[in-house]
Amino acid sequence: MIIEISHYLSILATGLFLLIGLISFITTDTKYTAKLISKTFSHGFLLLLVSFIIYIWLAITDNFSVQYIANHSNTELPVFYKISSIWSAHEGSMFLWIIFIALWGFIFNINIKNDEVLKPKSIGVISLILVGFLLFLLLTSNPFETILPIAPLNGADINPVLQDPALAIHPPTLYLGYVGFVIPFACAISFLINGNPDVRWEKLVQKWSVLAWVFLTIGITLGSWWAYYELGWGGYWFWDPVENVALMPWLAATAFLHSLSVSIKSSHLRVWTILLSISVFSLSLFGAFIVRSGIIDSVHSFANDPDRGLYLLMFIGIILIISLSLFILRFSIIRPIGNIKSFSKESFISINNIFFGSLIFCVMLGVTYPLVYEYLFDQKISVGAPFYNAIFIPIVLIASLFLFFSVDSKWSRNLNFNFFRSPIIVSIILSIASIILLIYFFQTNNFTFLISVYVGLLIIFRYCIEIFNSFYFKKFINPFSAIAHLALGLLLLSISFNSLLSTERALSIRLDSTEEYKDLKIYLKDIKVVKNSNHDSIKALFFIENSRGDIVELSPEKRRYRTRGQITTETAIHISPLRDIYITIGDQLDNGNWVVNVQLNYFIRWIWFSGCLMAIAGIVLIFSKRKV
Amino acid sequence: MHPHRRKRLFNIILVLLFSTSGIGLILYSLNTNLDYFFTPTELTNINIPEDKRIKIGGMVLENSVVREQSKVIFTVTDYKNYIEVVYEGIVPDLFKEGSGVVALGFMQNETFYAQEVLAKHDENYMPPNLSINNDN
Repeated sequence: MIIEISHYLSILATGLFLLIGLISFITTDTKYTAKLISKTFSHGFLLLLVSFIIYIWLAITDNFSVQYIANHSNTELPVFYKISSIWSAHEGSMFLWIIFIALWGFIFNINIKNDEVLKPKSIGVISLILVGFLLFLLLTSNPFETILPIAPLNGADINPVLQDPALAIHPPTLYLGYVGFVIPFACAISFLINGNPDVRWEKLVQKWSVLAWVFLTIGITLGSWWAYYELGWGGYWFWDPVENVALMPWLAATAFLHSLSVSIKSSHLRVWTILLSISVFSLSLFGAFIVRSGIIDSVHSFANDPDRGLYLLMFIGIILIISLSLFILRFSIIRPIGNIKSFSKESFISINNIFFGSLIFCVMLGVTYPLVYEYLFDQKISVGAPFYNAIFIPIVLIASLFLFFSVDSKWSRNLNFNFFRSPIIVSIILSIASIILLIYFFQTNNFTFLISVYVGLLIIFRYCIEIFNSFYFKKFINPFSAIAHLALGLLLLSISFNSLLSTERALSIRLDSTEEYKDLKIYLKDIKVVKNSNHDSIKALFFIENSRGDIVELSPEKRRYRTRGQITTETAIHISPLRDIYITIGDQLDNGNWVVNVQLNYFIRWIWFSGCLMAIAGIVLIFSKRKV
Repeated sequence: MHPHRRKRLFNIILVLLFSTSGIGLILYSLNTNLDYFFTPTELTNINIPEDKRIKIGGMVLENSVVREQSKVIFTVTDYKNYIEVVYEGIVPDLFKEGSGVVALGFMQNETFYAQEVLAKHDENYMPPNLSINNDN
């Protein structure tokens, strides 16, 4: 009974959102309709929310007559994981996705006044998108499907690799980021329909977009960290298709925020800004399509269902056709007045848009090329890290150099560009000095490493000088830009050092003996079988001594879960600021030795820290009073 | 030609030149960095240069896994042809005899030296191009 209530509430909400969509597009905007749309949307959201809360309650109370809950939860699970099991597979995570779109819409709805010209149509667009997704949920992937008449006594359990706090928060954060861009998208469409070039839709969406970008950044960083320690991948980025489809919206969103900062001030780059707002949202949907259609082989295996893929593809197609036709129809109103001055901030940002555009194009190519190639030549191929490295390293470095010089540029002013200004010279000298020291210490002539570090240092020194100036000479500084770009510099540095220094090696160790690797003495003290509530594990105990004589204890595990028979590897990591000692245990050899994989991952924490720093920059902007 | 138009033409040519050369470079690097995927049967029919990174996929042959120090040696098969694979390191959790595997590496003298061995975290995963009946 209660399952049906939850089900009917979501169907009712679908009807209500459809109604809002129709009202907002058919009627002319009046005070009355604006109020009606706003009120009705809030009610639709409440219906959905109640439906979702009931669903959570069903999961907590182990109602296994719901097929989805029976397949993905278990009475033994702690309440926390019972809730997170909802988004551990397709149907439930789609439900969460929809709730989040509605949530963004709702918060937007209650924060923006009804007399805002763009509001009714924006809410209308959001409602129609919700209808599209709700139909997808109810028709192709219904989470409310029941097992009747007799429910199973216990559920099939959540996949053990998903029983992890990081995974419980990683998908929701990422989804909040993805679907948050529904707001700029809806406002851009609403602006295009309205057709009055004097309406500043850009002002309306800036903070919302930054907030969505913050969630996206944190979501990607969390995912990278989770794959590192829980999946035992031992790295931070693998160019896996699923990572790539998250990276594309992030790149588009970053370009969008840059472009937005220009369009807010003048009529320049409006074409870019609108196109980017459409791209971010459609790339988010494209990500959902790739992950959920099972069209691409990836380690993230989601349900393989061609129907779902087809539905999503058609949905994206319709959205793109409508928004791009609108864009072409209204092209005349968004054309800029006058030219961009050379060496102004605007000129640098338009160049930046081109760089980001190229990066998105390359990732898109890498993701879709195998599909096209197989279709045309009947030959399976895959595009791996070498391609992405070959493209990303030069483009990111050149873009960063432009960034370095752009610090001195001014808004809409033709700067007499002078390469001999003191901050530039000081940063260049400091960076060269540091590079010479690096060559001396590391005895390396790895060109890619040196140039990446050099560019990273240029950015860091340049922005440090800026920050220093703002403290001592009260020079104006945009804190968002400074922190975010410092994070970029830090990211470049840490990725370079990580790829130069990190090493790994598989060792074979006998119990109670010592193997040496690099500066470490690895002693296998003990290995034993431990029985736990839902799994048995082989647990090893290592004493690891470094060159200074410090000893750390690490105990990696190999687990076998009883309900699914699944084997998982639990890594053991010793974290220090400069490097991680990362150990996983493998199989026992015939001669009694154990295979042990040891990785030394340098500066890997700094990579995630840079991600967090970017997110912090976003939060700073959201709370800053000053107009940016 | 009108000077204004000439300038415009010049700009268009410049943009076209840059974008085509950019796309050309990208496609070139894409083509040189592709990993082709083969099944053991496909591999017997063609010659792969030793320095060309490829992917192979198939089932791990029963009773073929041998561990030597930190090396794992096993045979990948589509139950028609066989390839010996050598891998240094720890094989993934789902790697086991009689189940699917994908390896990335280089072919040298009939032996495949793997840099990476993948088994999916989906238990029911089958490597592509292998719709084989498991019972023979």
